[in-house]
Amino acid sequence: MKASSEKAEKKLGGKLKGYLMLLLMVIVSWGIFKIITPGNFGSAKNMLSYFEASLLAAVGAVGFYFVMVMGMFDFSIGANIMLSAIVGCVFANRFGLGYAGLVIGAILTGALVGFLNGEFYVRLKIPSMIVTTGLALIYESVANYIAGGVEQTLPSGLRAFGQMPGNLILAVLAFGVAFLLLNYTKIGTYTYAIGSNEFVAKNMGINVNRYKKLAFIISGAFLGTMAVLTISYGSSMVAVTGMASMSRNFVPTMGCFFGLAFKKYGMPIPAIIIGEFVINIIFFGFIALGAPTAIQDVITGFALLIIVMLTTKVAKGEIVK
Amino acid sequence: MGEIRLQVIDVSKNFGITKALKNVSFNIDKGEIHALIGENGSGKSTLTNSLTGIYKKDSGKFILDGKEINPANQVEANNEGVSIIVQELGTLDGLTVAENIFLGHEDRFVKFGIKNTNAMNKEANDLLKKYGFERIKASDMIENYNFEDRKLVEIVKATYFDPKIVVIDETTTALSREGREELYKQMNRIKESGNSVIFISHDLPEVLKMSDTITVLRDGVFIDTVRSSSIDEEGLKKLMVGREVTGGYYRSDYGEKVSSEVVMSVKNVTVPGLISDVSFDLHKGEILGFGGLSESGMHEVGKACFGASFDREGSVTLSDGTKINDIPTAIKHSIAYTSKDRDNESLVMNQSIRDNICLPSLTALANKLHLLSDRRLKKFANKYAETMSTKMQSVDQFVSNLSGGNKQKVVLARWLGKDSDILLLDSPTRGIDVKVKQDIYQLMDKMRKEGKSIIMISEELMELIGMCDRIIIMKDGKINGELERNKDMDENSLIAKMV
Repeated sequence: MKASSEKAEKKLGGKLKGYLMLLLMVIVSWGIFKIITPGNFGSAKNMLSYFEASLLAAVGAVGFYFVMVMGMFDFSIGANIMLSAIVGCVFANRFGLGYAGLVIGAILTGALVGFLNGEFYVRLKIPSMIVTTGLALIYESVANYIAGGVEQTLPSGLRAFGQMPGNLILAVLAFGVAFLLLNYTKIGTYTYAIGSNEFVAKNMGINVNRYKKLAFIISGAFLGTMAVLTISYGSSMVAVTGMASMSRNFVPTMGCFFGLAFKKYGMPIPAIIIGEFVINIIFFGFIALGAPTAIQDVITGFALLIIVMLTTKVAKGEIVK
Repeated sequence: MGEIRLQVIDVSKNFGITKALKNVSFNIDKGEIHALIGENGSGKSTLTNSLTGIYKKDSGKFILDGKEINPANQVEANNEGVSIIVQELGTLDGLTVAENIFLGHEDRFVKFGIKNTNAMNKEANDLLKKYGFERIKASDMIENYNFEDRKLVEIVKATYFDPKIVVIDETTTALSREGREELYKQMNRIKESGNSVIFISHDLPEVLKMSDTITVLRDGVFIDTVRSSSIDEEGLKKLMVGREVTGGYYRSDYGEKVSSEVVMSVKNVTVPGLISDVSFDLHKGEILGFGGLSESGMHEVGKACFGASFDREGSVTLSDGTKINDIPTAIKHSIAYTSKDRDNESLVMNQSIRDNICLPSLTALANKLHLLSDRRLKKFANKYAETMSTKMQSVDQFVSNLSGGNKQKVVLARWLGKDSDILLLDSPTRGIDVKVKQDIYQLMDKMRKEGKSIIMISEELMELIGMCDRIIIMKDGKINGELERNKDMDENSLIAKMV
């Protein structure tokens, strides 16, 4: 009945709608905790520190978005962050390479881990979830071996990326690169094409396996950048084993879900950044409340499900997997 | 005879033990529309898919303007001067219209690794304007457009770079009358520019009207190449099937009284944005047709009656008072539905023919302990697949490996096996060859005589006229007229109510 072009025109205002929804989420999550704990939550200074904390995961999430949009998954995110942070710290500290060692060491390690993930995934032809779960165990062990079982601490003179403006500069640079790759290079177009229909993409001459590997490498490099921010913010990193690194998967993955949910509004990267901010507001809100960890986890889990459910308004009849 | 553009020499292709093409050889001239016809599974799409790099041929040669070509994918084929518009949807969600048009050819817009989106959009908009599709905007996401508009984008994508050969694979059945006219216009434009079109269609009158030359394939073997002006429809059928196609094509009865018993009553059905206030009764033993332009809402009527429409208002009631509001209730009460969008809505592509045919009948096929016997399922699937003359290696073959027409046969075999009393058939003969079309018409006639009721939704006006007791014409989501079966009815009487 309606001309499809009219439908298209109607959707042009989508980006503004997306921003308004995200802004509303920030206000609502802030408002709820501000009402419950007015004294020790949500001042302008507090909000800035929540935002600073959210930058860490947002950087990893924008990289991980390349993998997820293609329909793949990575369970080795936490292990990658841990290994990259430890290698960066060792380069900076033990080898005396300073900031260059920290940044280059961590980012290259992250990219190398991504390369291995992609290579194993493509060559073994088994689901990415299984490949990366297996590899995560190996990365944890390698990190533990490099660290020699000792907590790796970044010297105080090398922690500029753990505070303003260093963290913001690095994060903005990372967001800028992700935005550029996604919107102004072939990589972005092919990422979406492969995610939409791999068979058709292949028929269009796209080297699907090469771009899948590239997605893992990009994701790895961004997780390496996240590792720089993480160790600079927290000052040290312990090389855990037995899949304990998986606890670090959660926050970047949730940010990525925001990106996927807001993809239809044409603004996945801003959605990831603001989404991570919302997640941090909720986290810090619970800390201000002094809620037990178990309760925090339950309520955070539900809150995130509700947020994603409300934002991912699935078209009637659309199949969700 | 004109100058040769493409030589197909001894091309063969096997899928496992199935010989899809056996030493096929023929020529295509410059500036001609060359139709490729044959029954479902005769090898038409396999041949053109091999030419355009979608499949890799096993042996033989494609010589284009004297040079052998062996494209590994569609982009390489494009670079050699060959493009294709595929049977199903060939555009990708998540990309803009412009990105879809130039997918695989972005390098022209990339400088120092950075893509110039503005330049790409501008060129795409210029192309869309040149083709007369200004309403489609280059910067819009492709998923904002409907199937038909996306096909128009595919036409631009396949032809903007002036290819020497354009393959149009069974595309017209997916298009409305307006869309077809647009495609015909583009085919003639390509021909006039001295380039060639390979046109695959099961619509023989359309083939005779549009093509200069026709090559016939049967079971993967080249049968003949004939001039369109020197053959008629019956002659083509004979070449395709290998024998005279005897017996009536459509129903031959007129004036038969339809039972007054109402089996389904549809009252004031509205699906926001699609159909509005639709009411009608379906009688026992009746074939009720629905016609109209593609976007008239007629396709939604089938879904609404099957309980598959969302936000549906109004009621669909069976003779025993049962309200059909969801699909399980519809199936439980012996209602069958085939969708126009076969691959996405009717078939489980990565499952076997057996599983697809048995799916709605599993409860009946299970034993007392609710266990399923592999032998029983296979026997059941075999019976109905064979009834529909499905060309397959065995019922264990994946549906995704079948040709378009054979997929449709699997869909029909499924509901045949279910022995449904009310059949809602949306475009049931889409992509089906002439012989099986005749089989389906005869099957529908037999079902009608057995007291089964059928709603037939179709963009093929002739089959509506030939098969239906009544035809309801939809326009802008509403019923715009109703015609009773009579000998004097022609396409014009339907078109008058459609536009």
